[in-house]
Amino acid sequence: MLLLAGVFSLGRFLRPAVRQKKTLLTVARAAIPNNGALVYREARVALIREAEEIYALDLVCTHLGCTVSVTPRELVCPCHGSVFDRRGNVLKGPADRPLARHAVEIRGEQVVVLL
Amino acid sequence: MIKEFLKHLFPRVVLKGNLRMTYTFCLGGLAFTSFLLLAASGLPMLFYYQPLPDKAFNSILFLESSVWGGLYLRSLHRLASHCFLVLIFLHTLRVILTGAYRKPREMNWLIGFILLCLAIFAAYTGYLLPMDQLSLWATQTGMELVNSTFVGGTAIGILVPDGVGQPMALLRFYILHIVFVPVSLLLLSFLHFYRIRKDKGALPYL
Repeated sequence: MLLLAGVFSLGRFLRPAVRQKKTLLTVARAAIPNNGALVYREARVALIREAEEIYALDLVCTHLGCTVSVTPRELVCPCHGSVFDRRGNVLKGPADRPLARHAVEIRGEQVVVLL
Repeated sequence: MIKEFLKHLFPRVVLKGNLRMTYTFCLGGLAFTSFLLLAASGLPMLFYYQPLPDKAFNSILFLESSVWGGLYLRSLHRLASHCFLVLIFLHTLRVILTGAYRKPREMNWLIGFILLCLAIFAAYTGYLLPMDQLSLWATQTGMELVNSTFVGGTAIGILVPDGVGQPMALLRFYILHIVFVPVSLLLLSFLHFYRIRKDKGALPYL
């Protein structure tokens, strides 16, 4: 009985909860304007391209979770006025952490955002 | 066969008065029990720990967050390590206070002292492995302490050839913590127990 419990526990211990990454979006690379952003309000993601670097900013405000609006210069939260720069760093509170980033994978001409 | 072997470990005759707890309080036995607990909780964690400076801390976060029983095992390992040190110190204190280090048990006192040092070393090497700020700087200060002794330079050259928290040093601490120190602890413990039997038990000669 004890042996059985041990084997069962070890079996569970050895099967970790590995999170499978899910594809959030697939976008053509050419669709992202240089030094600009593609905004997906429903998915709450902005794809930003700075020269050759492409990154996906999570648009969930790190203060209380509103969706931030993307303006040509910065990202502004409509709820409490937090302001972030294009890279997601905090310019003005009350948010105190930078915006999260999603993993981005470039597959040929496609840009895939993973969640 | 196993039953006969176990029977063989015990003396043929035991005086009832010698079985009283209040002389030793079983401190050595309890320390060995926590050592067994340490082994039982440490071995499964080997499946997840990665001894690389940039992976170690994340592998522990993964163990704690995504593995069933991971947090429990790590907490158990940590708690058992504290118990191990406290019990082995109390055991040493008991041996000193009852004068059990005297003839004919000098040999076992020596083995016991080595076991005490090994236990401290096991705790020290294990402390670095999570690679968080606390463990890194605690190991750093420990190394400064070693540096002030006359063999310090050599010891540091062997233990941390490329500096505390660097790849080679972490790997060495890891190997010492999971193989060399526990195996020597186990073997010396058996020798320790054998000597008790050989010296006719723990109680003073009546």
